Amino acid sequence: MPFIGEILNYGSVSIVGLDKNTGKTECLNYIIKRLPLHSYKVAVTSIGIDGESLDQVTSTAKPEIVIREGMFFGTSEKHYMQRNILSELYAVSDESTALGRVVTAKALAEGKVLLSGPSSGSALKRWMSSLTEFGIDLILVDGALSRLSTASPAISEAMVLSTGAAYSANIKDLTAKTAFIVDLIGLPYCRRDVDVTVSSFVDLKGAILKENSVIGVEGALTDRLLQMAKNELSRGEKELVVNDFTKIFVSPDLYRSYIRRGGKISVRMKSKLLAVCVNPIAPNGIVLDSDALCQTLSQEIGLPVYDIVKNNYDHDI
Amino acid sequence: MTFKEIVYSPCGIRYCFDSLDLQSGYARQLLLESEMMTDRAAIQANYSSLKDYVTLIERDTTLVQNVQFKLQGLRDITATLQSLEDGTLLDDIEFFEIKYLAMLGDDIQRLFSGASVQWRQFDLDRAIQILDPEGLRIGTFYIYDAYSMDLRGYRKSLEADPDNDELKDMIEKEESRIKKVLCNLLRPYADHLKQLLKALAELDIFLAKAYQMQKEGYVIPTVGESAAFKGLFHPQVKAVLEDAGREFQNVDFSYEMGLPSTVIGANMGGKTVVLKTLTLCQYLFQFGFAVPAVSCTMMVFDQIYFCIGDEQNQQKGLSSFAAEMLRIDSVLKAVESGDRILALVDEPARTTNPIEGRALVSALLKILEARHNLAFILTTHYNVENGGKCWRVKGLIEKSKGVEGLKMDYSLLRTESNQVPHEALNIATELGINSQWLDEAKRYLEK
Repeated sequence: MPFIGEILNYGSVSIVGLDKNTGKTECLNYIIKRLPLHSYKVAVTSIGIDGESLDQVTSTAKPEIVIREGMFFGTSEKHYMQRNILSELYAVSDESTALGRVVTAKALAEGKVLLSGPSSGSALKRWMSSLTEFGIDLILVDGALSRLSTASPAISEAMVLSTGAAYSANIKDLTAKTAFIVDLIGLPYCRRDVDVTVSSFVDLKGAILKENSVIGVEGALTDRLLQMAKNELSRGEKELVVNDFTKIFVSPDLYRSYIRRGGKISVRMKSKLLAVCVNPIAPNGIVLDSDALCQTLSQEIGLPVYDIVKNNYDHDI
Repeated sequence: MTFKEIVYSPCGIRYCFDSLDLQSGYARQLLLESEMMTDRAAIQANYSSLKDYVTLIERDTTLVQNVQFKLQGLRDITATLQSLEDGTLLDDIEFFEIKYLAMLGDDIQRLFSGASVQWRQFDLDRAIQILDPEGLRIGTFYIYDAYSMDLRGYRKSLEADPDNDELKDMIEKEESRIKKVLCNLLRPYADHLKQLLKALAELDIFLAKAYQMQKEGYVIPTVGESAAFKGLFHPQVKAVLEDAGREFQNVDFSYEMGLPSTVIGANMGGKTVVLKTLTLCQYLFQFGFAVPAVSCTMMVFDQIYFCIGDEQNQQKGLSSFAAEMLRIDSVLKAVESGDRILALVDEPARTTNPIEGRALVSALLKILEARHNLAFILTTHYNVENGGKCWRVKGLIEKSKGVEGLKMDYSLLRTESNQVPHEALNIATELGINSQWLDEAKRYLEK
């Protein structure tokens, strides 16, 4: 499995699913199972309520996170008390979530835990930096479903993306939707000085977009702002600079037409996409052809794509 | 009266609270909930400790830094300790909290051994021993194998047979038996641990107060039977002025029981700032802080009243005049109670007509003239009678146009005359206000 080796080059990696039931938890368990824990100190948490034994929306079975001996994990008080593992408490934070405070513990034997860590991006960052006193080498973050915020380079250095039939039941559509996210993740760094900074949520004056070419975007990049920039493309070059890809909330069609017409979007911070994992099975019973899906998607995005459940790649790294 | 009730007082004590470098949220909470000291001996004892901590931070900076770093880990576990005392069965997280607290206390005690200042000594060995059966002396916790041979055996068996539910049940039973034993063993120490928790928060507060005193140039007052300040300053106003590249002019002031003090003087002469500073100092004094002055003697009061203008309470539908009258009325009631009262009133009756206003202020001074349980200070623009001990702001010293060019000497001078200086027109002229208007005003004065 090549991407396990790559994960070890980073201090923090988030696992992000594009939708529910795209195999994010399997992906996380898969990674945990293969990490060389004898030489790496690893911690794992999730943002918000996740790791429920039953999916709250579709009631499909969801695997719990298997924690191996020696790993650290962060979860809420409530889920710590319900754990199925022998573990030693290392810290109790003074920040509270809906399920109580976040506790940090070390597994003394292998076992299963429901992970429900810090509930916001900033709380997650504080938890991650509190781990330095325990000498952690790698932090895995189970990202919230359909929320890409944990993949923000402001939080984790690298990411693994999981997608699948639950996101779209048609290979072509699934490929296009996934490729769009992969495109955003791959947006280049901004190399020029920003002429002016605008925000999508204040009254935008068309003149600002007319007169400047390198435009910093504060906060989110929305359809409205992108449309305005697109309208000005005929007058000259436009480069919109966002903080990172998680700040982009635009429709794929508008994005593609803006790019086709010569528009540019760049970022200030980047996160490394390590791999894409797919789950060809959707909870409504639809099963896609795993090999065809992996191949089509891989060709489209130029990155390796894995169906870890079917293939269960078990070679050593 | 708790600190929380006065933290938003217009005297500006919030600024002093915010500039305290407290390490733990619990210390902050404890300070906010603390009661104002009204006992002379308690205030003196508090200052004697504060002096020790000031000496400590001067002599032993590294030790104090280490202690403060440790105090960052202090958590409020009052509820857990209460559960322990009440006999509730504690869970792993609560045992962890107790162990963490005990070890934190022990670490800080060790840091203090050999220091120039002694900190309270707690005997924590037994409590730590109960929660650290392997003697590892690290602040982590689980139901250790060392507690029971049976538990060790079951856990070993489970490793070989991880899906054995019967074993899991046996482990759970044994763990819960151990938790009961631990609770029983720890219960006698619950009160001791509560005291430790409080002492650690108090240490945090003392160190922050000592640093504030050193950094901001505050002083520990002498406790006496009258009040006298040298080099008094308002820290927030001082900081604002310094940010603007200007300097705060310290003032001297004194007052006593049974003799009202009136402060008169030009507009912009800093009268209100003087009242705010005196109020601030009194609160700081009775909550155990050092005070912003070069030197001072202060006395202890049971109640402190600070009445500043613009108290218009719109929610109650009161005008500023009505709100002010009610507030002063409450002072009069308090004086009758026999408590030792400090009342500071900024320009009373200023929002009504000057004829009745002057009568109200003169009468107020008259009826409060010889109250031996009252120290009364007011500022006014009226020519009042019965002014008691009268102070005048020195006032305008330099003439150059505009607000920036206006130079004031803010020092307070004792004066026998209670005639208020007529500087309003001069100041308005210096401010560059419409001359037609001011000339007309001069003609009215000459009439």
